[in-house]
Amino acid sequence: MGEIFRQLSGLLEHLGEKRIAVLHLFGAEIRFDVMAIIMSWVVIILLVLLALWLRRGLRQPVEEKPTRTQAALDGLIDLLKSQLADNFASERLAVMMFPFISTLFLYVLLCNWIGVFPYMMSPTQDINVTFGLALMVAIMSHVLAARSNGVRTWLKSFLEPYPFMLPINLVGVIANPLSHAFRLFGNILAGTILVTVIMVKFAPIIVPPVLNIFFGLFFGGIQAFVFAILAVAYINVAVEG
Amino acid sequence: MSFEWGTIVKSINWTLVFNLINFAILLYLLQRLLFKPAIQYLDKRREAVHARIQAAQADEEQAAALVAEQKEALSEARKRAEGIVESAQREAEAAIAASKTEAREAAERILEDGRRQLVQERDRMIAELREAYAEITVIGAERVLDREIKIEDHRRLLDQLLEEIDEERLRIES
Amino acid sequence: MLQEAQSVVSGISGADIVEATKYIAAGLCMGIGAIGPAIGEGMAAAHALDGMARQPEMQGALLRTMVLGQAISETTGIYSLLIAIVLLFVV
Repeated sequence: MGEIFRQLSGLLEHLGEKRIAVLHLFGAEIRFDVMAIIMSWVVIILLVLLALWLRRGLRQPVEEKPTRTQAALDGLIDLLKSQLADNFASERLAVMMFPFISTLFLYVLLCNWIGVFPYMMSPTQDINVTFGLALMVAIMSHVLAARSNGVRTWLKSFLEPYPFMLPINLVGVIANPLSHAFRLFGNILAGTILVTVIMVKFAPIIVPPVLNIFFGLFFGGIQAFVFAILAVAYINVAVEG
Repeated sequence: MSFEWGTIVKSINWTLVFNLINFAILLYLLQRLLFKPAIQYLDKRREAVHARIQAAQADEEQAAALVAEQKEALSEARKRAEGIVESAQREAEAAIAASKTEAREAAERILEDGRRQLVQERDRMIAELREAYAEITVIGAERVLDREIKIEDHRRLLDQLLEEIDEERLRIES
Repeated sequence: MLQEAQSVVSGISGADIVEATKYIAAGLCMGIGAIGPAIGEGMAAAHALDGMARQPEMQGALLRTMVLGQAISETTGIYSLLIAIVLLFVV
């Protein structure tokens, strides 16, 4: 019991801090968040296991009645398609971006949810993780826009609707991924801090699981969905101009 | 490799890059393991289901056509049967009517024959009677007169008498 | 009396004042910053409900758009949260 309380107070002590590993490699100093990377690996392993489990549903011939695994796979693919990929501007884009947007959603979802378990930490409470994903979405949206509309049209879109709007458009280019990243990061971090503070200071039992369900599962799910659908929206806006 | 505590917000570091690498690996793995085969499989199944639905529709159409054909054949048969029945009825009626008239005719003919025979019989009987009369009269007269009269004269007289009798009888009859 | 007050005041260093102000600022930041998003999200939910009541068959699309709009209007609240966190842990 005392050990648990010691660990809990340690949680509070290092609230708002994280373990940074410093790696000296070829004379350069590489700093990274160990927990986030390890948890990201855990999430990847979980998702790959899920994929391997769902793959079993594919063995059986097409004509036969679907098994339970196959029904689960069907439901998952259908959900991802109807809720995320179908929001893309064009059918071609939806087909092309389906794996990316689905992976993004599943990854962020599991990253959010894994923080619920003890000794685990959501990788998404690290600003680097969310900012990296948001940056990737932003770059991808601009690359797709330049590829589908041509570089000239893409460059000209910064002068729309009037040329003097250029600075505002450039601010938008930077602000979009920033707000995209901060939204996820802030929500997950706030949930974690709230749960930790309440767990350490007020109620070590009974209350934290309820709060975890609310902040971890519910908010985690919603924020993952919002993150993915905002990625869709950004890509749509960039491609459609 | 060493560890230290860093603050949450202020440090943009290599986690960003490592995480993106992780994400790329995950994307590759999921695409390879799940999405590509799953979408192929689902497409295949959709095509199979589509083909099956089309086959079922074709079957249904065929069945509907068959049913329509059968119905048509049935209605035709019924029509024909009705025609047959009707014609049979007509024939029967005609036969009945024919037989009726025939029977009536036969009856009439029989009646007629009977009547004619009756008349003939009567005539014959009248003739016989008349002869018998004549003989009786002659015999009677012979007896009464008791003498030989010239037959020729008597006959004339008797004929006259018979005619009178005839007329009288006719008067009585009428 | 006055000397006591002076001694109390002189006992407070600049760092203490910064510390105290930090917490007050973080609290104010979160408190005031949460008003806007709360009103905005409430309005979004209210109008989405309005629409859902009028056209129940549009529920899915309305719900999705509502969540998206709420997430975007939440951004300002998240910014204030970020400022609060920076104030608490970084400054």
